[in-house]
Amino acid sequence: MTELDHMSNRRGQLTAIAWLRWRLFVNSLRSSRGVLELISRIVISFAFAVGGLGGGVGMAVMASIFISEGKPEMLAVLLWPVFVFWQVFPIMATAFTNNPDSTDLLRFPLSYRSYFLVRMAYGAFDPVTALVGLWSLGILAGVGFAKPAVLPWTLLVLLLFAAFNLLFMQMTFAWVERWLAQRRTREIMGVLFVLLMLSFQLIGPLMGHFGKRARPDVQRFMDVFVPLQGVLPPGLAADAIAQAVLSRLMVGLSSLLLLCAFVLIIGYFLHVRLRAQYRGENLSEVAAVSALPRDRSLRPGWSLPGFTAPVAAVFEKETRYLMRSGPMLLTLIMPIFVLVIFRLGPMNSARHTGFPFARTPDMAFPSAAAYTLLILTNLVYNSFGGDAGGIQFFYASPVRFRDIALAKNLTHASILAIETVLAWIAVSVLYGPPALDVTIAALTGLLFAAPVNFLAGNLLSLYSPKKLDYSSFGRQRAAQVTVLISFGVQLFVVGVGVGAFWVGRHYGNFWIASAILLLLAAISLSAYGMSLKRIDDLALARRETLVAELCRA
Amino acid sequence: MDLAPTISTQSLTRRFGELVAVDNVDLRVAPGQFFGFLGPNGAGKSTTIKMLTGLLAPSSGRIEILGLDLERNPVEVKRQIGVVPEGMALFGRLTGSEFLNFAGRMYGLDRETAAKRTAELLDFMQLADQPKKLVADYSHGMQKKLAMAAAVIHGPKVLFLDEPFEGVDAIAAGTLKTMLQGMIARGATIFLTSHVLEIVERLCSHVAIIHQGRLVAQGSLEELRAGVEAHTPVATRNSSDDGSSPSGEKLTLEQIFLRTVGGTRRAERELSWLG
Repeated sequence: MTELDHMSNRRGQLTAIAWLRWRLFVNSLRSSRGVLELISRIVISFAFAVGGLGGGVGMAVMASIFISEGKPEMLAVLLWPVFVFWQVFPIMATAFTNNPDSTDLLRFPLSYRSYFLVRMAYGAFDPVTALVGLWSLGILAGVGFAKPAVLPWTLLVLLLFAAFNLLFMQMTFAWVERWLAQRRTREIMGVLFVLLMLSFQLIGPLMGHFGKRARPDVQRFMDVFVPLQGVLPPGLAADAIAQAVLSRLMVGLSSLLLLCAFVLIIGYFLHVRLRAQYRGENLSEVAAVSALPRDRSLRPGWSLPGFTAPVAAVFEKETRYLMRSGPMLLTLIMPIFVLVIFRLGPMNSARHTGFPFARTPDMAFPSAAAYTLLILTNLVYNSFGGDAGGIQFFYASPVRFRDIALAKNLTHASILAIETVLAWIAVSVLYGPPALDVTIAALTGLLFAAPVNFLAGNLLSLYSPKKLDYSSFGRQRAAQVTVLISFGVQLFVVGVGVGAFWVGRHYGNFWIASAILLLLAAISLSAYGMSLKRIDDLALARRETLVAELCRA
Repeated sequence: MDLAPTISTQSLTRRFGELVAVDNVDLRVAPGQFFGFLGPNGAGKSTTIKMLTGLLAPSSGRIEILGLDLERNPVEVKRQIGVVPEGMALFGRLTGSEFLNFAGRMYGLDRETAAKRTAELLDFMQLADQPKKLVADYSHGMQKKLAMAAAVIHGPKVLFLDEPFEGVDAIAAGTLKTMLQGMIARGATIFLTSHVLEIVERLCSHVAIIHQGRLVAQGSLEELRAGVEAHTPVATRNSSDDGSSPSGEKLTLEQIFLRTVGGTRRAERELSWLG
């Protein structure tokens, strides 16, 4: 085959892969929830467009100001968010993309170069790339507006910076995929990732906390960090542009060359991983044999007083699933972390700035309780997602769906109860024990809000299911319809809760809030009870969608 | 004596939009039969088995299992049947032991009985060696055995199996066959789909063949054989283009199947560009 044939063949393959991605996108709209999904996508695309255009305009204005005021080195302040967003957002929100597993393409006669290009193309056509692309365009426009002479140079630097970001994102994904390919390492990675994210969240509050005490350690840390960022890609890109603005092109060129070096190094690490994939590495765990001894002891299932055996069985199964999901468990402890962060950060400084919680620390418990419920929505609104093919077992077993839904909701309610107790203890330790009337009002608020969420969650779990893998982290989300509707429900529930608390506060008596919320709780519990009775029929009516959605490979 | 059928369908039909996947199927499976349900790919086997087990609603028609109308008594019917559906219906993040315990309790067994049977089944299926291993980490064959164990833990009177031997090694297949034959000996009824016709021929006493959604043959192997021979000219019967044996020997199930669905081996005639 001649070189020309190879090129034409490669072009054909890349065209076919582009077509595949397009068809995957179009076909994703052809599901039974296609119209709703389309509307959700339009809403989310609109949000992306606003974020991209708004951010781009903001970046343009700031870049122009930095250059005009003779502070071009401050461009690093713009390029670091571009870098962080480009790298972090795809990990957190791959639900917005339709990427097939690129290793599936290896069965076809793709050359390694084509395979590499496909991986790069996957990154280049993500919504996040479009969004940060608009931000980068904003920076380009801002610099060009303030100093037109450096526009071509800035364009070159930003293109190289974009190439670095694309390669880095793909490299991260490729290596993370390798570590996530095996269950154990997958769960360890999930735990490490959440700890990393949490530690990022703690940096600000910690610095604020210790900054107040003028600790020299923090100053030393900043002394090291600021120059260090200058030798990392966002800092190098900023410096390359800044030096050109200051007419020190050779210095700028050295920064650009260092940025090139980063591109090559990251490209090499990506190449190592992709080459291994291309050669057909096998990370299957099927052959792994456990060295654990035979366990012949009888272990009866759990018993749940007052509930039937199937309810107890599903409750046990749900609990075991959660206990084995590192990512899910870490998500569930988020409310406690948030309380700590608030204590170290805004709450701490609020004593001097008039932050609302500073005047009313009692509100910390209701807020924590509300946040606890919010975190649970991941589970409640897609409660069959983790069952995957197991949904067929539910349909084949002689158990009413209302019992299955009840058992799942009991699990959710148990988690909510445990977390609420933990939140109360945390609030008591961090802010002092909340007043009894506020505690009761918050609990009655939960009594109202939880059944509303369970009701809506059960319905959406049947109407808009999405298969989830509890062991993998960050690369999956509920259906976009579910996200939007659950957002609406939370607005309603929080609005009602805030309203009741406002009334209590207005009259200086939170028992009034408790009474209002108790009344609403009675209504929401009745509505939940009635909805359970209809679940069997709904589940039957939705069985094809559920089975098709959850059993797909 | 004509026993009331364990499984019967009347004009069972399932449409997916324009496509009629199952078209007016009338099945009758007598108690204690080991019943093979055959058909080419896409003929409607899995759709039928899904409807028979309540996983899919029929567009029209009626299903009776053990004399009970499935639509009116779904829970009562499901209590008495066991199912290994196409996707095996497993919960990947439980261990094998936890899953069987769970399945037993979902079928109404008390805690002790469920635990006892779980241990017995794990032992019988040779799955007891790795108690801490999650189902998701099982091999395909191990998952098949576990799905089978979950389907029989409550001692069902009727067992529905969709491709139970697919991806299962010879040793595991032997274990499964022994268990199924034991169930038949104790009076259970088994409804099985499989593409492995040798296994169906060896295990099943009765067979039905579905083709393009329609039931084209039903009866004992002998009845099917007689039917095919009666409709086949002697010259054709002696030919070997469908892999038939020389004249005088009994037709195999594969030959019966091929002649019933009109399949011929034509790769030799077509695709001449193949190396």
